[in-house]
Parts: sequence; structure tokens; C-alpha cells
Amino acid sequence: MIKKTLAFVFILLCSSNIQANDLNSDDQIRYQSMIEEVRCLVCQNQSVAESNAELAKDLRREIKLQIQDGKTDSEIKTYLLQRYGEFILYEPAFSQKTMFLWFSPIILVLMFFGWFKKIGN
Amino acid sequence: MIRRLLPLIIFFALMGFLAQSLYESETELPSPLIGKPIPEFKLRNLITEEFVTNDQIVGNISLINVWATWCVGCEIEHEFLVELSQDRNVNLPIIGLNWKDDDQLAKLWLKQLGDPYMLVLKDPEGKTAIDFGVYGAPETFLIDSNGIIHFKHIGPLDREIYEQDILPLIGELN
Repeated sequence: MIKKTLAFVFILLCSSNIQANDLNSDDQIRYQSMIEEVRCLVCQNQSVAESNAELAKDLRREIKLQIQDGKTDSEIKTYLLQRYGEFILYEPAFSQKTMFLWFSPIILVLMFFGWFKKIGN
Repeated sequence: MIRRLLPLIIFFALMGFLAQSLYESETELPSPLIGKPIPEFKLRNLITEEFVTNDQIVGNISLINVWATWCVGCEIEHEFLVELSQDRNVNLPIIGLNWKDDDQLAKLWLKQLGDPYMLVLKDPEGKTAIDFGVYGAPETFLIDSNGIIHFKHIGPLDREIYEQDILPLIGELN
């Protein structure tokens, strides 16, 4: 009897688990990588994947729904950017405003290169 | 000489920028919604339970205030909101967006602390709040008579912010 009950509870737990993760495996991977790219604005040093804030939960739910609706990654990112601005994504989009940010490592490397060369001479 | 000092100058400039960002409040982010119309929504009125759409609240220069009973800052600003709504010289309807709250607690709050709102919409799932780009209540939006958002304030609203930021904008809009 106890065994049967335990088995029943186990099956119940498993089925609720399946319901909670009703994305197929490809979408699950997309979902996971997406929520790691999105900043939780309440606790700004955590991603939406890590945070337990209510807003993070809502954003996770929203991203999941949109994946289920067949939205592409860039459509979902646009959705977030239109509402929260650049800061919500850890990796800023390439635009005129962020151009310097993107090129700054190259500029710095070139600067150091020039500098060391001078010192060498 | 200058060439030798250059790395030092760059170093101090960098330190300056870092120190600056350390001390300035960076919790307030610019909203991409400024200059755009309020998002579409269909939410229930907290009191009457009737559905209200975004078109129905547009028509006057007004404030949209995002609040909740679990929000500490909301309690701080509430007195000022009540004051503003009772001021006869001020004609600025306040529309409340009750964010992820319990209906009963929200109603009790308005009963006990006063109700400054023309109407309160409830957003139990927080979907409309996301459309408004809300991330920390209280948040207050100034909209014009066409429903265009002109200003957003994050954190408790007080007289100083109202007079400094909101009042001049209302003057421009009129």
C-alpha cells in the first residue's frame, strides 16, 4: 500500500514537473540562454534567470510564452528593448550610441601596441 | 614630458569617471517610452470590476501612478498624492495602476489612507506593468491629452519633484 502511494506521489510529481517545463528541448535551450542574457532591473547585478524578484518571474513567464508563440529571439529582444531600453540586455545592441563601446577594446589594443612599440624603440 | 605624463593623465581621467559612476544614482534608467503613446491594455477597475481600455483613460493631461500595498515607497508618497488630488488649484487626474497586488488589501489601503485616484486599474499578473517598462514601484508617468508619455519618475513622488519636473511640463503641454 505504502509503495503504491509512494509510486503515485512520484508520478504526480513527475507530471507536474512536465507541465512546468512544457517547452520542447530546443526551446528550453533557447529559453535558458535568453533569460541569462536579460538583466533583472530590480537587482541589477543578477540576470532574470538568477533572480527571485517578482519582476524577474514575470519576465521569465513572458519570455516563455513568447517562445511558445513561435517568436524569434530578436523579436523577443525587441519586445524587451522597447519597454526597458538598452540596459535590460547584458550585451548591448550595436548602434550609433554603443559604437564606441564595441570598438573601444580594439582602440585600446591599438593604443597599447603603439605605446609599447615606442618604448621598445 | 607630456608624453611621459600621458598614461598618468589617462589613469586619473579613468579614475574620475569610475568615481563619478560610483556616487551617482544609477538605479534610475531612462525610459524608452518617453514620447510614445501609453501601451494598449484591457484591465479591470479595482472597485467596479469593469474592463477599462487604454483609450478610455486618455483625454486629459494626467498622471499614471504604479503602486501596490507591498511597496514601501508607495506608502511614503501616498500622502502627497492625496494632497494633490484634493488641491482645488490642481486639475490633474491620477490614474492608479495596482501592480501585482491583492484586491482586498488594495481596497483597504485606499479606505484607510485615502483615495487620490480617479480610477484604479488592477494588473495582478504584471503584464501591463511590463508594457509600461515598470521595474520598481512606485513609478509615475505624465501623459498628455493624446496619451503620449512625457515624463516618468521612479520612486516616491513628492512636492519638490512635482514642482520641479512635472509642473513645468504641464505648463508646456497646455
